[in-house]
Amino acid sequence: MSLDNLRDLYQQVILERYKKPRNKGKTNPVDRYQKGHNPSCGDTIELTLKMAAEGNRIEDVKFEGEGCAISMASADLMADALRGRTVDEALEMVQKFQAMMRGEVEFPSEFRKLNVMQGVAQFPVRIKCANLSWHTLKAALEAAQGSEPIDVVSNE
Amino acid sequence: MTLAQERTLASKVRADFPILHQEIHGKPLIYLDNAATSQKPLAVLNALEDYYRGYNANVHRGVHTLSARATDAYEAARDKVQRFVNAARREEIIYTRNATEAINLVAYAWGNANVQAGDEIILSVMEHHSNLIPWQLLAQRTGAILKFVSLTETEEFDLAHYKSLLSERTKLVAVVHVSNTLGCINPVQEITTLAHQVGAKVLIDACQSVPHMAVDVQAIGCDWLVASGHKMCAPTGIGFLYGKLEVLRAMPPFLGGGEMIADVFLDHSTYADVPHKFEAGTPAIAEAIALGAAVDYLMAIGMDTIHAYEAELTTYLFQRLAELPEVRTYGPKPDANGEGRAALAAFTTGAVHPHDLSTILDQEGIAIRAGHHCTQPLHRLVKAQSTARASLYFYNTREEIDGFIAALKQAIDFFGGIFG
Repeated sequence: MSLDNLRDLYQQVILERYKKPRNKGKTNPVDRYQKGHNPSCGDTIELTLKMAAEGNRIEDVKFEGEGCAISMASADLMADALRGRTVDEALEMVQKFQAMMRGEVEFPSEFRKLNVMQGVAQFPVRIKCANLSWHTLKAALEAAQGSEPIDVVSNE
Repeated sequence: MTLAQERTLASKVRADFPILHQEIHGKPLIYLDNAATSQKPLAVLNALEDYYRGYNANVHRGVHTLSARATDAYEAARDKVQRFVNAARREEIIYTRNATEAINLVAYAWGNANVQAGDEIILSVMEHHSNLIPWQLLAQRTGAILKFVSLTETEEFDLAHYKSLLSERTKLVAVVHVSNTLGCINPVQEITTLAHQVGAKVLIDACQSVPHMAVDVQAIGCDWLVASGHKMCAPTGIGFLYGKLEVLRAMPPFLGGGEMIADVFLDHSTYADVPHKFEAGTPAIAEAIALGAAVDYLMAIGMDTIHAYEAELTTYLFQRLAELPEVRTYGPKPDANGEGRAALAAFTTGAVHPHDLSTILDQEGIAIRAGHHCTQPLHRLVKAQSTARASLYFYNTREEIDGFIAALKQAIDFFGGIFG
């Protein structure tokens, strides 16, 4: 088997996070809630955020969901990276992650763990798996900024 | 059929399918996604090219030679489909884009005129979304009630439950012949007889049966039967609706336009007789002719030969899958002769998610399907968010099944090894 190709995609960290996610569950309290899915494959995610008292900073992120190694590891790594970030910073990270999936950029060293997802860019049909949690996050944050809330955001 | 003959059949036909002779990621392609769409033999590719190179013209319109030739070929293909499913009359075959359009045609044309609030429509929980959503929409338009036949313990059509749902309120029974996920072969003849006893009409979704076995609409006795060409060696964009002549004649038109008319005035029109009444607009001429070529190709091999060969492959596929304790298959197991189910296996493994598995197998040149296969309610019922599916056709070989099993083992090791 062409394991080299696959090791680019399924890096050790991704497989570990898939098997033993660190951020599964629901935040307490739930200040933001958003459900997202990929209709064609059935992957789903329920994202919850706990916001700091001033309301503009993410204090905690948890997720529940069912999906492949790529979508679940991506959600788990995202949750780690978001803690302590402002809403604006988080929205910027969404842009950056999506650009990384297009093979355009990578994250600076403070977020280097997110760069393990870079290999997905070589597998175009799997990009939507990696993007699911970020796409859902964007909807969660934008709904709070006054956009029309969406029941289940579709990543397609 | 012996193994030697089995090899002969696959090796005889593989040369007819140019697409199979290529490498994906440096490995010979092993195409196991036939339930999604089949590959096309040269006879079908040539039929398309011959039409466009030699006699492209609109049908049923021109007096000129090309138009006459196109019309003859288009209508000759209808005769072939008629023989293929043993319809009593050629007018009973309506060309549609695919099975989905055929079902929608019945749901609108027949459904709107005949279904009322409180009427019951019986479906099964294993229906493809194409044989579910048109009826949901009809129920929303009319106030009809949908009832669902559940599964037996072996994950097959529960005939006893079906009998308990039938009543004089039942207006329609619409069920799949062969499940694209469970692979079970439903007793459509008995289902139809029972439905007719209470005065209900019956529609059979034959997408996964007609490519693989002889199907006889008169033996089944159903009112309608639908299928898609692309799953039976024909191009995309062409399918058919079989309907009993008197049932089709009693139905109002579906789409209005050219081709389906008798006389048109500014304020009203009269309509052509079937089949043209349901074929508004310029049809998929090349595709219909190529569907005829696909039928010729399949019938020259023989549907019974195809079915027998696939039964042997099914036995072998399930034998090999049984070597992997992590693998859970869905639907009934084949019997000793490979009968009792279709030549496909939807399955899950403990460690590897179907999407990941599909990516890993693709690196080995192996094409399988991963997802819910357009049977989301069924997946919820069997508590699988998604499944992987390997589906075979008569050009697949035991060697390809071996390649698939070897790659599947390695994928399980790759994921399982890391987790220990």
